[in-house]
Formats: sequence, C-alpha cells, structure tokens
Amino acid sequence: MDNTRSNIPAISPAAVVVTAVFLLVSVIGINWFTTFVPVVLPEQASAESKSVDELFYILMIIGGVVFFMIQGMLLISVIAFRARPGDHSDGPTYHGNPLLEVIWTVIPAMVVVFLAVVSYNIWTQNSEPKASVNMVEGQSISINVTGARYAWTHQYVTERFDEAGNQIVINSGPDLHTFIGQNVDLTLQTQDVIHSYWAPAMRVKQDLLPGDPAQGGRPTQLRFTPVRVEGRAYPAEYPIVCAELCGDGHGRMRGSVIVYEDENQFLDLFYEPAIHAILNPPADPVLRGEMEIQNYICNSCHILDSLDWTATTGPSLNGIAERAGERVPGQSAEEYIATSIWNSGAFRVPGYDQQMAAFGPDVVEAANVMTPEQLYSIVAYLCTQGEGSDCDMDNASTAIPDAIQTVFGYEVDITFGMDGDAGAESADAEAEAGEDSA
Amino acid sequence: MATIAVPLGAQGEQQEADALRRPALSDYLRWSVDHKIIGVQYGVSAFLFFMIGGAMAMLIRLELWTPALDVMVSGAAYNSLFTIHGTIMIFLFIIPMWAAFGNFVVPLQLGAKDMAFPWLNAFAFWLIPPAAVIVLLGYFVSPAEAGWTSYPPLSTLFSGDGQTLWALGAHLLGISSIMGSINFIVTIFNMRPPEMTLWRMPLLCWAVLATSIIAVMATPFLAGALTLLLLDRVAGTTFFDAAGGGDVLLWQNIFWFYSHPAVYIMVLPGMGVLSEVLSVHSRKPVFGYRMVGLSSMGIAFVGFTVWAHHMFTSLQPELRIPFMITTMIIAVPTGIKMFSWLGTIWGGKIRFTSAMLFALGFLSLFVIGGISGVMLAALPFDIHVHDTYFVVSHFHFVLFGGSVFAVYAALYHWFPKVTGRMMNERLGQIHFLFTYFGFLFTFFPMHVVGMLGMPRRVAVYVEAFQPWNQLISFSAFVLGFSSFIVIYNVIKSYYHGPIAGANPWRALTLEWQTTSPPPATNFADDPIPFEDPYGYGTEASGAYLDAVDEAFSGAQPARSGSH
Repeated sequence: MDNTRSNIPAISPAAVVVTAVFLLVSVIGINWFTTFVPVVLPEQASAESKSVDELFYILMIIGGVVFFMIQGMLLISVIAFRARPGDHSDGPTYHGNPLLEVIWTVIPAMVVVFLAVVSYNIWTQNSEPKASVNMVEGQSISINVTGARYAWTHQYVTERFDEAGNQIVINSGPDLHTFIGQNVDLTLQTQDVIHSYWAPAMRVKQDLLPGDPAQGGRPTQLRFTPVRVEGRAYPAEYPIVCAELCGDGHGRMRGSVIVYEDENQFLDLFYEPAIHAILNPPADPVLRGEMEIQNYICNSCHILDSLDWTATTGPSLNGIAERAGERVPGQSAEEYIATSIWNSGAFRVPGYDQQMAAFGPDVVEAANVMTPEQLYSIVAYLCTQGEGSDCDMDNASTAIPDAIQTVFGYEVDITFGMDGDAGAESADAEAEAGEDSA
Repeated sequence: MATIAVPLGAQGEQQEADALRRPALSDYLRWSVDHKIIGVQYGVSAFLFFMIGGAMAMLIRLELWTPALDVMVSGAAYNSLFTIHGTIMIFLFIIPMWAAFGNFVVPLQLGAKDMAFPWLNAFAFWLIPPAAVIVLLGYFVSPAEAGWTSYPPLSTLFSGDGQTLWALGAHLLGISSIMGSINFIVTIFNMRPPEMTLWRMPLLCWAVLATSIIAVMATPFLAGALTLLLLDRVAGTTFFDAAGGGDVLLWQNIFWFYSHPAVYIMVLPGMGVLSEVLSVHSRKPVFGYRMVGLSSMGIAFVGFTVWAHHMFTSLQPELRIPFMITTMIIAVPTGIKMFSWLGTIWGGKIRFTSAMLFALGFLSLFVIGGISGVMLAALPFDIHVHDTYFVVSHFHFVLFGGSVFAVYAALYHWFPKVTGRMMNERLGQIHFLFTYFGFLFTFFPMHVVGMLGMPRRVAVYVEAFQPWNQLISFSAFVLGFSSFIVIYNVIKSYYHGPIAGANPWRALTLEWQTTSPPPATNFADDPIPFEDPYGYGTEASGAYLDAVDEAFSGAQPARSGSH
C-alpha cells in the first residue's frame, strides 16, 4: 500500500472559513448550554445533586467539544469535498496516518480515564455511609421504605415509646418527611416485584430487590442529604417515582419527598403530630379504622374515593358496605369483610384474578401484621363506606367482635387496650423484623 | 447535489428484464439453500417485522400524546405493547436484518459460491417464522408485560402465559442466530480466494466475523437464562424466586451478559456497512483499514466486560466501579471507527447518493449516541438517568440512528446488486430528509424529559412533560411516515428502476465483479480480487474497474466517461 504524503488532500479556503465559523459556533454553543442546564435538570435539592450536576457539566463540555468537532468535520467534508458535477474521478489514495491514529486512540483513552476518575471521586463521596444518619432529636432512627404494587410506604421507627414501653412507628404513606441538613439513610424493601426508588431532585435512585421474607428480605440502602433551594418556600415538595417496570400501575406509583426548613419545623409539622395521633388514638372504632387502614398497603390495589385511592388491581371498595351482606350466602356483612381481609382466598370477586396479600396476626411480612383489634376497627371503617350499610352499625361494638370471634376464634379487646397493648403488638413485630434485617 | 450517472439500457423494458435473469418471486417463498435467496428472505421478513414494530411504536407515541391513560385500555396493555415492540425490533428485525445483508453480501465479497453450510443457512432462516408466530401468539394470550428485558419476578410470578410463549420464541430465535453465526465464521475463515488474506478482506466481512464471534459466545447465555425462566414458569423451580432460595439478580446478570454484547451484534455489521459505503461513495480508501478491522474485534472483546452497567441501580455498590471503567474504555475503539470514517471521507470526492446520505446520517447521529453512552457510563450521572427516557433516547440513537440508518445505507447500496435495478435517488433523498429530521426531533428531546424526571415504560406522566411528549410524538409520526417512501421506492424500483449493470458504483470489492443479480453460482469463473479492497484512485484500480465494466458489457451496457 503506498502511503505517499503528497496525496494529503489540500484544504480549500472555503473549508478554513467554515472551520472558523464552526469553532465560533461551538464555543458560543457550549456557553449557551451552561445557561440551559437548569431547564434540563430538576432543582438541586440535595448535596448529591450538586456534585452529580458538576459531573454533568464536565460531561457536557467534553461531549460538546466532541459533538461540535465531529459534526463540524462532517459539515466541512460534505461542503468542501463533494464531487463537482461531471467529475467522475477518484479521490487521493491515502491509506492512513499512524501518528494520527495513535493520537485519536490515546487522547480519547486519556479523556475517558479522566472521566472515570472524576466519576469515581463523586461516587465515593456520595455513597459513603455518613456517621450520623436520620438524626431526630439527637438520636438516630430507622426510616424504612416499602414498595408494593403500586404504592410507596414510609415507616419511621422512632426512639419514642408508648406507656407500655413499645417503640412507636410512624407510617407516613407515600411521603418521605425530612429536613434540610438531615443525612437521610433509607432502608428499602419490596413486597413483590423489583421497584426502583427515584427522587429526581435528589439525583438518587436505588432498586428494591425481592428477598426471602423468612430471612428479613433483601434490604437495600439509599442515602442523600437535602439542601436549601433558593427561592423555595418550606416545607418543599419533590416527586418520588418508581423507575423500574413493576406492572399495570407502574406509571402512577409515586410519592413525595417533603423537605422541612429545619428540625424544628419537621418536629412541629410532622413528627410530633404523628406521634401524638398514635399515642392518642380515637376511641371511636370507625375513626380508629380510618387511621389503621392507611397503615397498610391496601391503597396499592383498591379504589376508595374517601381516601383518594385509585389503584385498580383489586375490586373497588367504594360502597362496599352496601354489597357486603349479599356476597356470600349465610355470611353477615361484618363476617364477609373480616374474612376478606384475613382470609382473602375464601371468596374471589368475579373479574379479579389476583390473590390479595396475606394479612393477619401471624403473617411473616412485618408490614402486614394485623391484630384482631386492628381488624375490628378496619371492618368498622369499611362498614361506613356506602350510601346505606348492611352492617349493624348501631351495635358495631358487639356485632363486629362477634363476627371476628365466629370466623377466626379471636377475642377482640374493644377498648383497644387503652393501656397500649393493641397498637404495641404490631409495633413489636415490626421492631423485631427490623432487627432481623439489620 | 451531484447526480449519479446511471447506465441506462437502450433496450425496451421487457428485454431488460430478460437480461436480468432474476429469481421468480415464488422462489423466495420456498425452501432454498442459495444464500442470495436466503438473504432476501431474511431481509423482506425482517422489514415486515420492522413495520409491525414501527406501527406499535406509533401506538406508544399516540398513548403518550396526553399525560392520562386514554388510548390503551390499561397500564398492563401499554406494558405489553412496548414489550412486543422491543422484542420484535431486536429479535425479529435488527438481528435478522444483518443476517440478510451478511448472507447476501459476505459470500460474494469472498468470491465464494455460497455459504459454507447452505442447508444450515436455510434452516436458521426457517426457524424465524415459527418463532415469530409463537412470540406474536403470546401477545394474544395474556401477553408478556415485563418489557423485552423480562426481569423476574415480574416475568415469573406475576405474568401470564404469554410470557412463556415469549421465552420459547426468543429461545428459537437464539438458536437461529447461533447457527447463522457459526456459518459466517466458517465461511469467512475458509472460503476466501487464495489472494485474499485476512488483511485484504472487506471490512463488512471483518464486522460480520466479529459479530458472529460475539453471537456464538453470548447467545448460549441467553438460552441458559431463558431455560431457567421457563423452568421457573412451568416446572415450579425457584431460580429467580427469593422465597425459594433464588435470586432475581441472577437473571439480570445472565441476561445482560448476553444482551450487552448483543447490542454490538446489532450495530457492528452496520459499522461494517459504513466502511464499505463511505469508501466507495467518497472514492477514497478506508482510512486506517487495520485499526477499523481490529477495533471491531476490540469492541467484541471489551463488550463482554461491561454488562453490569445495566444494573447500576441494583448491583452491590462496590461492584459498580469496575463496570464503569470498562464501559468508559469501550468508547475508545468506537471512537477509532468514528475518526477513521471521518478520515475516509476527508479529502475524498463525495457522491451524495442515498446510500451515502444515510451513511453520513449514521455518523452524525451515532456520535450523539456515543456521547450519551459515555455519560451513562459515568456512574453518578447514570444513577440519576437510569431507567428514564434518557436511556430510551440513548439506545434509539445507537440502534436507530446507528443500525437502522446503516440498514438503509446498505439497502440503497446493494439493492442494485440484489435486483439488478437502481433505486430512485430523488425518492431516496426525500426519504433521508424525513427520516433524519423525524428521528432527530423524536429522540433528542427524550434526553431532556428523562433528565427532568420521566421514567421509561410509563403510560401516564405528569402534565409538565406534555409539551415535550407532543413534540416527540409528532416527530415520531413523521418518522413513521418516512418508511412508506422507501417501501414505495423499493417496489417501484424493483419493476421499473434503471438497469444497474455489474458495478454501478465502480466498487472494488468482489460482489460487484459479477452480474447483477449474480448467477446461481455467483461467479462465472473464479474471481480475482483486486490487491486492495479499497484502493481507489490508483491507475491499477482504474484499470481493474474498466476491465470489469468491459467483461460484463456484453450482458449489460457499459458505463461511459468514468475517467
């Protein structure tokens, strides 16, 4: 192969002009892009987001140079080196230039090594476990996130105890509550398929992996530290979405990160009221049930307008009290609803083929443990869902416990163990499961 | 734009058709062991699936016109739609489409009479129709809704029987791919003319060789993964069921150990096409031939070490770093190709044929896919955009902006050889413009919605993203429309295109040194390859091409005024 240097194509003046214009455009373009960044990325609401965006700047500048260089060379080529009409001759027989090839092998290699080093530094800095995490009132608490088709549930295992000495667990549903400067360290666990917990404004994402429930599942960790966003009113709200396909309702599996201005605001608006509600549950079983039912993942499958539930995997709970008495011959409305929760396989609503998750006093999943007292209040609440009710609501405090006694043989403490026993049992189970997984 | 001097016969159309001696259309519907027939069988069926998969993409974009769920009946129906879209595009379109060009062109470029194992070749093709029937049937019986990646336990404990059929179909397609690849490897190593050393082999053959090596090494892992999936689904095993001691990451590891190299199965042949088209249509040798050939091998090798970057959000954190580094490194051989191609056209005499336009389009779009690929390799940034529309954009830039543009370049380049007739260049240019801009405005904005917070595979999204999605959907419809232009062009040109002659592009590789279409045995005599497959611009190559023109001018009119 002949490699005569004399064949190197001459560059025409037109090409030089085009090159100059293009270089100018690229410099302006890259500059313009840096002002454009806030439009293409969400707010920087965490310490991590700042370093990730710095990396993005670096990637964009290097990527921009490569982009404009290659598109520019392409543009110059198609303008300067097009065959003129009637010119059927060949181009120069030029087979290559070893020096040039070494350059365009070594320089990109150096660039990617540089990018790998920068990325590594940011990664280690962001993912390193912090010394003090989830600090509330000077103590480190656990924040557990459960993903279930198609809802997020956040649980705060507090360092507070009720009168009986049981640890208090706050369930804040699809919302994560935190405050500026708190080192958040979430423990994530799925109940069914793989989900992915993504808070775009925090630039963090972590998959939830199914594990063996008997061995405490397969918890994964997610860490970030919220920071102040200028111009934002607090508490500020940022989205949480599911990023891993999990089925029919994947797109609506959402939640919010609610960031408070400081620990005091967090305590005043979220933490203390939640603990107060747990320590002083309503005595009325219906109100109690409305509170209890939201501690479970029922919303991930059912519609219930009263609570803004929208999922459609399972049958709708709207007007359930009107239908409950007629579903199964020989079963009262109370018996039917209680059975449907603890022994959901007993009757399958026509048109729905998916087995509901197991709930009850002895189930393995900590989040699904349900005492007879909790069942009593939830049945009482569902008995109010409808225009009329098949339930005997005038005598709810005897009719429902009797139904539970008949179907499952459990005694129900209708005082809810005002000394704190009822709520405590489930908290116990959860605390135990938490220890297992840790 | 320069027009192409196309030799036109003075004879009437009937005489032209007689002179072409093309196979009857019915020959394409039968079992045949002729690699040229099989190539067309692969190509036409793959294009058919491209249209089906494309129609599904149109439905996807229609659903995403509004933030609410309105076109599809449920989220699950939408999931099934993109699952079957991805499956068709990957397993039934792009991989078989490269088997089409590989089959037709590689034996000709090697001066061989056929593939090494003609019967195996036909068998590999005929596995595709039953596999396609199985996959498509699955769509009508409780369809798979776990995406083409089929992550358990969604694809095992939570999916209907369509998922089983999906896995069976994919299994068959994998077998087909392995058999085809073995055939290519054996053919390329054993059936070259004595003068053609490996270093004188056309770069398409290098690319097909690298591709086939990847396919033979990687596809058995897909088969293994699918077997475990099938066992979990039908035989009660628990390979991927945590409650039975299984592990969902086992699937992700095996699946991506195949499917990342498979990305190169899908794009390397396109890179081979680029080397051919850019060199021929800019009348200049491939710049740095050896490095272009070797970089295919480099990509094939490094491609086996990067799979876990698909698992950056699920992998144990300490394992993520090594995969970030390997993923960064694979940009280097890809960069070598990009720069070598630019070096090829630099200083050449570029003819703006449709084939060349699509090849230039590939360069312009693939670089964007390459840049976003490096961005995705950067672990902290990937964590943010993993499983978002940024990723959807990235892989469409490499698989559509890359592979599909290369498929079109190959179509316009070799159509004259396959059918004996030229395609309409004006329609080709219109097709290019619609495809290029339709593509750009469909997929570039996806980067932005992904970064802003829109995950992939969702039928519903927040209202803030609607303007972006409407721009994307509108452009997608333009892109969808563009494919009708090329279909019209192919059909019209097949019957009425100008007679091509043996070597309309004056190319030096051996497939052009025989009639168009070639006779059943490909070459009347054993062809003698020119010493350098891309040695344009020398007196010797000019003389060689003139001799070829002369040799075939009896059957077909010679080209005039080429010097």
